[in-house]
Amino acid sequence: MLETINLTKVYEDGQLAVDGLTLKVEPGEIFCMFGANGAGKTTTINLLLNFIPPTSGTALIEGIDVVKDPLKAKRHVSFVSENVTLYGNFTALQNLDYFSRLAGKRTLTKKDYAEVLDRVGLQTEAFDRRLKTFSKGMRQKLGIAIALVKDAPNVLLDEPTSGLDPQSGREFLEILLQMRDQGKSVFMSTHDIFRAKLIADRVGFMRKGKMVMMKTRKELEGEDLTELYIQYMEEQPAAAGA
Amino acid sequence: MLRDIIKKEILDNITSPKFVFTFLLCAVLILLSVYTGVTNYGAEQKEYTAALALNRKNLEAQPNYQSLAYPGIKINKPPQVLGAVVNGIEEAVGRVAPVNLAADANLIDSKYSSNPVFAVFGPLDLMFIVKIVLSLFAILFTYDAIVGEKEKGTLKLALSNDVPRDRLILGKAIGGYISLLIPLLIPLILSLLILIIAPNLALSRGDWARLLLVFLMFFLYLSVFFSLGLFVSARTTRSSTSFLVLLFVWVVFVMVIPKVAVLTAAQVEPIPSVHEITAKKDAFFQQVQQEGQKGFREWSQKNSADAAKDPKGYQDKLKKFIEDYQQELTSKIDANNAAIERDYQMKKKSQQNLAVNLSRISPASALSFGSMTMARTGVDEFDRFLASVRAYKPIYTKWLNSKMTQSINFQTGEMGKIKLDDMPQHRLEPDSLSKSLARTLPDFVVMIVMIIVFFVGAYVSFLRYDVR
Repeated sequence: MLETINLTKVYEDGQLAVDGLTLKVEPGEIFCMFGANGAGKTTTINLLLNFIPPTSGTALIEGIDVVKDPLKAKRHVSFVSENVTLYGNFTALQNLDYFSRLAGKRTLTKKDYAEVLDRVGLQTEAFDRRLKTFSKGMRQKLGIAIALVKDAPNVLLDEPTSGLDPQSGREFLEILLQMRDQGKSVFMSTHDIFRAKLIADRVGFMRKGKMVMMKTRKELEGEDLTELYIQYMEEQPAAAGA
Repeated sequence: MLRDIIKKEILDNITSPKFVFTFLLCAVLILLSVYTGVTNYGAEQKEYTAALALNRKNLEAQPNYQSLAYPGIKINKPPQVLGAVVNGIEEAVGRVAPVNLAADANLIDSKYSSNPVFAVFGPLDLMFIVKIVLSLFAILFTYDAIVGEKEKGTLKLALSNDVPRDRLILGKAIGGYISLLIPLLIPLILSLLILIIAPNLALSRGDWARLLLVFLMFFLYLSVFFSLGLFVSARTTRSSTSFLVLLFVWVVFVMVIPKVAVLTAAQVEPIPSVHEITAKKDAFFQQVQQEGQKGFREWSQKNSADAAKDPKGYQDKLKKFIEDYQQELTSKIDANNAAIERDYQMKKKSQQNLAVNLSRISPASALSFGSMTMARTGVDEFDRFLASVRAYKPIYTKWLNSKMTQSINFQTGEMGKIKLDDMPQHRLEPDSLSKSLARTLPDFVVMIVMIIVFFVGAYVSFLRYDVR
């Protein structure tokens, strides 16, 4: 489970990046966070991964305070970043092997890696190719494979579908649905309203660091998510909707 | 986990084009420099042996002792075997020190003076390659060690796992250093093989110990730039910025500080020019010469009566007078020159020490001074050789004065043939390893302190590094 309690981040230059965010992503739930660039989505992920300290409030992973015990908390979370270029001189398998080892998975075989790479839709001929020859989409698939190999109960995704072609995007959604079925808590920051609508159990809208609206899948039925997105991004911040 | 990080770092480095480029360039430059050094040493050794034989032959060919007074004899500086690796100032300073009755002993006939083109580019010895080329490679291997991972997004990805930051930086440092050493170690081992199999190169046990200490100094020097690279990489947010900062620091360390230190020392502690010193010595020499002529005239007038009365006794008396008087005048000149020289050397030493200590802020200077001292091709060895020649000069002049007066027949004007059996020989005791080590201790300390400071700086900076 991923949880933030009144989480606030004010940067050194005075910019309020996250403003009292309280959120819980339950096991078996996909939460999609929308917001314009600079709304605070990535900062929320950075706070959950303890890359930056919060100004106030708490971030918890599986109930573990990420500031008090960051290493223990990180054992329970996988992360997929936007635009990760990985190691260009390494092959896909070498990259996957290195990050798997960092994640504590030391007994995996080449066959296991091949299965995961296959699952994310990477062509077999690309497994042993150096990453410098990969397209952005192929790298993104490898990034997702790295998160899959870790097999943590919580998944943080920072705009993971950027660079994916429609086919790969569809495969990615299937992977996320499988994760949900496995009982993982998935938090995804995204601009991809179309894909999020297909899989999200809940969506949230962030504006200037504040959660201005949150809706469940049921509440979204019959609503035009694109219309809502535009509406909430343009409006002055209001109290967070339920 | 540490092993995985080290392994990844090595693999990432050795599969990069920069590694291939570094390895090839290192191999070519190191092997070329050692081969050239060994060949040069062989040629210098031959030249030295030939010069000794020629000197001896020239001495024996002299008709009498008087002709040994001017231009005197030549003392050749032996080439240093480790000059093949650290050339030092060998080519810049003279190789021959003429010793005669008048002039003060000094080294002349340097390789640069005989062929000034050499001076334009300087020697391509191993020390130069380490100091200039390999230190740049150390920067090339580290400028993006941290900041590059941030740009690639791999730092965030790595730290999203339960990876302690201290272990990550340690792994990167160890792996990176090993990667830097690989292209250096292989050609160095091959160079050692060249040194072992080279036919004209006989390294003693002491030389091997010195060589190993020189190599240790090379590794420490590269470690300074390696840890500096890590430090700057952990303090910047763009790899291009990191590279520029490192390049700037490199220029300051390698080019600016050593030169500025020498110029500053010259301003703070000025010394008289060589011309001033020579003029002072010449003036005194002329004064003594006039005194001598006057003294001889006075003695002749005083004893002129004896010449007619007892020619044999007069001749013996004259001989004795000339021998004593010449010795007295020469001692006077030597004492005066020694006093001027002592004062000059003291001032020069003080300026030299100031320049050395100021320039030691730079690891490049520490490397230069340290490795030259170890290889016996530096200023210390030059000073030691010159001091030994200057110490030898009065011994030689005393012997020559005595021989000159004893061999002359004042009645016939005949001069006896020279015999060199009892001629005192110039000796230069080799500097002991412990003495050299004591002199290089500050250089070792400077480099070790820099490594610690930069590495701790990198370590602490990385613990607080903004990975976003």
